Amino acid sequence: MKRPVTRRKLLGGVAAALAGAILAPAARAAKAAVRKVFVSSDAPKGYRPEDHQWAMAIDAGRCIGCGLCVEACKKENSVPEGPYFRTWIERYVITRPQPGSGESRGPAHVDSPNGGMRGFPEPPVPKEEIQHAFFVPKLCNLCRHSPCVQVCPVGATFDAPDGAVLIDPKYCIGCGFCIQACPYGCRFMSPVTHTAEKCTLCYHRITRGLRPACVEVCPTEARVFGDLKHAGPSDPIRQFYERNKVQTLKPHLGTEPRVFYAGIDKEVR
Amino acid sequence: MNRFLRLPPQILRLVLLALGIVGSYAVARHFLTPPSFGEYGFYRGAALGEVAARPAVLAGREACAECHADQVTQVAAFSHKGLSCEGCHGAGQVHADNPDVAMEKLHYSHCVRCHEANPARPKWHKQVVAKDHYPGDKCTECHVPHAPSEVP
Repeated sequence: MKRPVTRRKLLGGVAAALAGAILAPAARAAKAAVRKVFVSSDAPKGYRPEDHQWAMAIDAGRCIGCGLCVEACKKENSVPEGPYFRTWIERYVITRPQPGSGESRGPAHVDSPNGGMRGFPEPPVPKEEIQHAFFVPKLCNLCRHSPCVQVCPVGATFDAPDGAVLIDPKYCIGCGFCIQACPYGCRFMSPVTHTAEKCTLCYHRITRGLRPACVEVCPTEARVFGDLKHAGPSDPIRQFYERNKVQTLKPHLGTEPRVFYAGIDKEVR
Repeated sequence: MNRFLRLPPQILRLVLLALGIVGSYAVARHFLTPPSFGEYGFYRGAALGEVAARPAVLAGREACAECHADQVTQVAAFSHKGLSCEGCHGAGQVHADNPDVAMEKLHYSHCVRCHEANPARPKWHKQVVAKDHYPGDKCTECHVPHAPSEVP
């Protein structure tokens, strides 16, 4: 049975064709715009994240609290002026207990003036009252089960295949959930970009075969860095694991940090 | 006419509406998901390359050794051997790219930054109370920073 072409059908067909003709290029333009914003080409060539497993280790017993690492990190990563740090140094001053108190140690004083970037002044307690004192460099703990990655609502922070926990600044909506989630206080909201920022292990350096800035300038080798997939027995990172008894920060949280510490005391969290 | 079209019209409309919603979601997802999303996981794979695209500010001691091999060899023979050139001399990528740009000028604070006495510093590390040790501010009057165990 052949149906006649009614006016209604004809008009409907024309309208659909017009809509298609207008929408198809618009959709193509939208796709091109998305591609332009989200694909970049100036990354180091030939770097395959699957071929590496980066690791950082801290020998706190070797840290002299000079703050060169903090300063280098600020310069290298254009970290904003003021109380914003991707890495910082804490000073722990454990006091002697009151005589006859039956305690093993007195209160601990922890400070980090300006992240330790300009060194540390005299301790807040007189020298005679100090039982022992030490410095602890802090940075992103590179958790295997990162709370920050779990809470990100848009997939802007992630655990890269090479062990770096990174932030996609183009995708970050600046909600700040990750900053609250990090149990180590390693993230901050940048007052410049209004996105979350953190240690990237100097991703732009390590992908080019350089050391992270803090490791590069550390004068006492308190910071050790290496690629576990390519580290030979004499590599500093392997030597660190062989020579030291290590621990992670806040192990009870189950975050499984990949940054290992040697030579820290129970007060360090 | 097949059986599908004999559904009650109100059900048919609901089915078409549902299909329309799912369809427009699929179309929007296709056009709005960035190309590399899901390459490694629930994130943009291209973000790795973008984070890595920053230029370096510190050149690294290998770059220093290309021109200043003598100084690098000298430092390596003494107790300052673990020190990076840029720890004291400041970030050097700009100078490495263009030697006409001078490096930071060094002064007294670079020495005391590490060697001023502080109870939190490990005992093996050489420390002095700078103002008792020497009233002036030129450590280099006595010490050679590249060869610290030599006192001329």
